[in-house]
Amino acid sequence: MSAGTPKSLPSSGQKSIQDISHPLSAEDSVLTPSPDLGNNTASIGEKDLSLPNGTPVDTSSPASSSSLLNRLQLDDDLDGETRDLFVSVDDPKKHVSTMETYITYRVSTKTTRTEFDLPEYSVRRRYQDFDWLRNKLEESQPTHLIPPLPEKFVMKGVVDRFSEEFVETRRKALDKFLKRVADHPVLSFNEHFNVFLSAKDLNAYKRQGLALLTKMGESVKYVTGGYKLRGRPLEFAAMGDYLDVFTQKLGTIDRIAQRIIKEQSEYLVELREYGPVYSGWAASEGDLQEPLEGVSGCIANCSTALEELTEDMSEDFLPVLREYVLYIESMKNVLKKRDQVQAEYEAKLEAVAFRKEERTGMPTDVEKCQDRVECFNADLKADWDRWQNNKRQDFRQLLTGMADKNIQYYEKCLAAWESIIPLLQEKQDVKSDTN
Amino acid sequence: MADCDSEEIAVIGNTDLTAAELENNKNNTMAEAGTTLLRRMEISVAEAEKRTGKNAVNMQETYTVYLIETRPIDAAAESQNPTPDSLWRRYSEFELLRNYLLVTYPFIVVPPLPEKRAEFVWHKLSADNMDPDFVERRRAGLENFLLRVASHPILSNDKIFHHFLAEEQGWKEAVFETGFQAKADSRLKALNATFRVKNPDKRFTELKHYSDELQSVTSQLLRVRARVADRLYGVYKVHGNYGRVFSEWSAIEKEMGDGLQSAGHHMDAYATSVDDILEEEEHYADQLKEYLFYAEALRAVCRKHELMQYELETAAQDLASKKQQREELATGTIRTFSLKGMTSKLFGQETPEQREAKLSVLEEQIAEGEELVKEKNAECEEYVKNAWVDIERFKEQKDRDLKEALISYAIMQISVCKKGIQVWTNAKECFSKM
Repeated sequence: MSAGTPKSLPSSGQKSIQDISHPLSAEDSVLTPSPDLGNNTASIGEKDLSLPNGTPVDTSSPASSSSLLNRLQLDDDLDGETRDLFVSVDDPKKHVSTMETYITYRVSTKTTRTEFDLPEYSVRRRYQDFDWLRNKLEESQPTHLIPPLPEKFVMKGVVDRFSEEFVETRRKALDKFLKRVADHPVLSFNEHFNVFLSAKDLNAYKRQGLALLTKMGESVKYVTGGYKLRGRPLEFAAMGDYLDVFTQKLGTIDRIAQRIIKEQSEYLVELREYGPVYSGWAASEGDLQEPLEGVSGCIANCSTALEELTEDMSEDFLPVLREYVLYIESMKNVLKKRDQVQAEYEAKLEAVAFRKEERTGMPTDVEKCQDRVECFNADLKADWDRWQNNKRQDFRQLLTGMADKNIQYYEKCLAAWESIIPLLQEKQDVKSDTN
Repeated sequence: MADCDSEEIAVIGNTDLTAAELENNKNNTMAEAGTTLLRRMEISVAEAEKRTGKNAVNMQETYTVYLIETRPIDAAAESQNPTPDSLWRRYSEFELLRNYLLVTYPFIVVPPLPEKRAEFVWHKLSADNMDPDFVERRRAGLENFLLRVASHPILSNDKIFHHFLAEEQGWKEAVFETGFQAKADSRLKALNATFRVKNPDKRFTELKHYSDELQSVTSQLLRVRARVADRLYGVYKVHGNYGRVFSEWSAIEKEMGDGLQSAGHHMDAYATSVDDILEEEEHYADQLKEYLFYAEALRAVCRKHELMQYELETAAQDLASKKQQREELATGTIRTFSLKGMTSKLFGQETPEQREAKLSVLEEQIAEGEELVKEKNAECEEYVKNAWVDIERFKEQKDRDLKEALISYAIMQISVCKKGIQVWTNAKECFSKM
């Protein structure tokens, strides 16, 4: 189970998608190192405009096309490890052709690894390319936890999957996916990953992979059932239990967060009505006009702050929770695979024990099987620890982020209310002076 | 009643002032609001108590009585601190007092009572009359009412009011002896009648319009505020669920456990804090409500003026028609078609004697009518003068009160924001330790 050995399972349902020629395949360009990244961004953008069979519509916000360097600086899960591979996903573009409409994302790479021919790459990939990569990783690294992709169709009620919010949410998730792979000591050396990051023409490679597939003699067949595992080692059983409870808690947190967003939106509706009542009143008053206008303006400011808070929560908080639900699913899959490998080993062991009376000595394939279980266990434990660590960091960041957003909200409201106090009191003082 | 009348007369005499004096007088009453009774006496509604008894039709009923305490200020200053005089009154007695004041001082914007039943409440708040929170807010409202009356330059001198504060026994009888009820009935009839004034006083028309607007805007504000309170309650309370789930989640975590657990406590605290926030906001709602009811009192003053204006106009019209009749009789010409003209045409002319007799009756009626118009005119003018003094006083009071209410509302919101920042900062600290 060493890294970089493709051990593909026959893929199903992939062919038809892959056979659709990629309109961008000829366009992927290698980014030459340049001191001015901004210039390059511009040139890529211009290139996109002259696509033969696609009309790109720029849906990216200025923030999303920030330079690679900026992204690297912002990245905070460095862990103190020396990194030599940096990837980022940005600059989503919409492509409209007669066949289909889809979004591509720019995948930028910076590396000092010798496995790469160049220190920097910039390619454009669409969702199905990411999906291909993930499948390849899963096939070739069955003992490892492969980070999740955002769901193909996520979030109920999102009608427009080309809306800026949807694309941005997906971009973040894809970025997270690639970063998780790039930070993984084994996955990041996977050959498919290398190709994904650097290939000018990914489709050509995909087709080649398909041709190779038929030659692959050995495919891993797992015991799919009928055999009851003698016992999951305690350690892995605990992992399973943990994941079950954690999924449940995440589900609850997700529901609470959604409910809060709903309550806040309804609160916002009322506030939007509440403020204008004060300004309506101000119209029929003399001395009270200014104070009432002040309160009205203040409520308007608080409404805006509340709207921002709600938006932040639904765009930044909920997607992360959902990513984790998928992450847990991936982890559960790996656990399941481990159980299968163990089951296979136990089955063989039993068969040998049965024949032992006739022959002595352990057959080599049983030993191989045992090796596989041990390898799997070791890989899984390492990934588990890494996952736990990631989870801790991610949730620390997510929850402090939530607290921060709430603090900011209250600070904005506080500033609004404090600003009208002098207005109210000054008037009062003038009044009592004249009296 | 005699005492009361003399008070009124004194007041009326007092208002016969020049504009400058009027201004001066107004400032005095503003600056020294409470020179009258409050300077001599401390007034409070100290507590409320539930009682059960038989009512007029011998039915069992439960009601609330309020303890009114009064204490002379001189005594307090001399640090004798005597036990205050105290007596119990029911809400209905407060109502009676206010009705009496309304009828007796139609030109005054009489302070309103707190609501009889809870209105404009957000759904978590009980609308039950016996609810302790409601009773407490009503206690505060009744005390506020007494203080407003006691600090009013005219109302504070009323004998019936003094009696209300000082002596539990015989007060109701004393009120009814004033005969205010007969006036009250005719007043009610007049207020309900529909009539159109020909020459309305522009100031009062505007004021009436304003009172309508004040009423509609305050009721709208109270309605929306109740809904805002509902939603705010929801937002805070849902956060409380984080408290539970964080605590449950912390059970399966090692390094993250402690941070999650304590963050959960902060979420609990956040959810709980909304109760105090909304309870405090209810005070603001009560301040607005007082002005919602003041709008009604203000309109009553306008309505009364309209009525007087109408009476004056009717008297004047009557006089004019009498004068016309006299002219017709004197000249023998009938300018307009009338039944009298028809009969005279049909049955022949009257004798000169008859005409003389009619003319003298008319002359007498005209003299009476002139007197009446003069009287009504004077009455109306006086009313306008008195009412305007009190309206000016009311406007000043309103502007001051509402500005204060808005300031305290803003201060309240500031403290809500600060609390919010505090809770989330605490939670953030816990999260960042995970």
